[in-house]
Amino acid sequence: MGVGEVVSEFAAVAVSIDHEGNGPRLRIEDLKTGHVGYLDALELETLAWLPEGALHPLLDPSLHRWRKPAPNGGHH
Amino acid sequence: MSTVDATAGWDRLIEHDRVHGSLYTDPAIYEAELERIWYRTWVFVGHVSEVPEPNDYVVKSIGPQPVIMTRDKQGEIHLLLNRCTHRANLVCDAPRGNSSAFRCPYHGWTFSNTGRLLGYPFNSGYDGREAKRELGLGRVARIGIYEGFVFGSFAEEGPTLLEHLGAAREALDRLVALSPSGELDLSAGWLQHKVKANWKMLVENETDGYHPQFVHSSIFSVAQSGIGELYGEESTALSRDLGNGHTENDLRPEFRRIGQPLGWFGTTPDRVPDYVAQLEAAKGVEQARELLIDGSPHVMLFPNLFIAEIQLFVIQPLAVDETVQHVTAVQYKGAPDMNRRMLQQTIGSVGPAGFLLADDSEMYERNQRGVHARSPEWVVLKRGTHRERLDEDGHLVGDATDEVPQRAIWRHYRRLMEAGA
Repeated sequence: MGVGEVVSEFAAVAVSIDHEGNGPRLRIEDLKTGHVGYLDALELETLAWLPEGALHPLLDPSLHRWRKPAPNGGHH
Repeated sequence: MSTVDATAGWDRLIEHDRVHGSLYTDPAIYEAELERIWYRTWVFVGHVSEVPEPNDYVVKSIGPQPVIMTRDKQGEIHLLLNRCTHRANLVCDAPRGNSSAFRCPYHGWTFSNTGRLLGYPFNSGYDGREAKRELGLGRVARIGIYEGFVFGSFAEEGPTLLEHLGAAREALDRLVALSPSGELDLSAGWLQHKVKANWKMLVENETDGYHPQFVHSSIFSVAQSGIGELYGEESTALSRDLGNGHTENDLRPEFRRIGQPLGWFGTTPDRVPDYVAQLEAAKGVEQARELLIDGSPHVMLFPNLFIAEIQLFVIQPLAVDETVQHVTAVQYKGAPDMNRRMLQQTIGSVGPAGFLLADDSEMYERNQRGVHARSPEWVVLKRGTHRERLDEDGHLVGDATDEVPQRAIWRHYRRLMEAGA
């Protein structure tokens, strides 16, 4: 079920409710790359209660997406 | 800068009733002005209503400096320099948006909307993470807010915003007093007009009561406006020096003589009944009537905010002979019938097909070309020197068409330029 697009000059994602699993979850598609991620209800509730700045560590590009892969193929 | 100081002191370029033409054309003087005026004194940046929600941001400027005005999650306003601390790319490009963090498009560095560096891709390429603390976005050193108007100063120390505004504070009070809710909404958007002229041509013209009957005769004629006559030799209106380079054309004496509510706006209360009822409910019938007769201020706040009754102009110098005027309609929060008319009048007078600003812009560019002539070297600002006097508040005033404001602007300008020498 489509919900809509959330777009800024920095990022563009399409969000929708996915029902493929045993319960609904939010589907987030990065419109620039097609990469898809999911957030369930408990994760979303947690996000709604995050204090100011709590997401900022995740906005460090080197934390997950833009970092050199470890020799074993996993992350550092 | 040193060339200017060595060849002629400011007192030799700026006399009481005339100024030297090179003040409008010399690139070295322009560079000195940036340091001594634009990067030192208080400069208007934007209004809090332009960032109403948490994480809203707008792209602004202080002269040629690119600035981002943000409202963080806690509601606090920040003025950040729109320059990535890595390789200097503009971090924000959109005129407005909502984001708790910004990502530079060049190498993906991310910053919080309070200016903190959050991170950069492939951080193993940097030796340690300590540098992150030092590489936050640049900040405008001081921020001051009065009645929702956000000003910035690059100087760490100096006069407070209230000291800078001085008597001109009353202009902002008067503007806000006309809003039944006591708040303005300046989110209608900004038109931008670029002219090939020095920024001071514009500052001087905003409170020049001598030109309207000549430059604006066509729009006064088409609109059947009586405003032009208020800038005549018989007018009781005043030109005023409010101090600190702030100047005014005070038309209240004429509006009070005529005694017609909303006459200043060229309309009558029955055309905007909801607005008038709202104002009467908020202020009481008698005070509302006085406010509606007196009308909205016509005040130039040095160096860059012109309150033109129903519009606001922001003056942005880009070069010695290039200036942008940003214009928006004044909107009273919660007064839709009055707002619609103010927006329509704004579009008609300063919109892309508007008469008023086009008239002025033509004069600015002709002035800029003319002032290059080798002779005479001086611009004459003598008008009304023999009849200027002090009003009851101790401000220097002159007749409606006198050059009291222009002399006041240059006195303040000279003080600032000499102080920075």
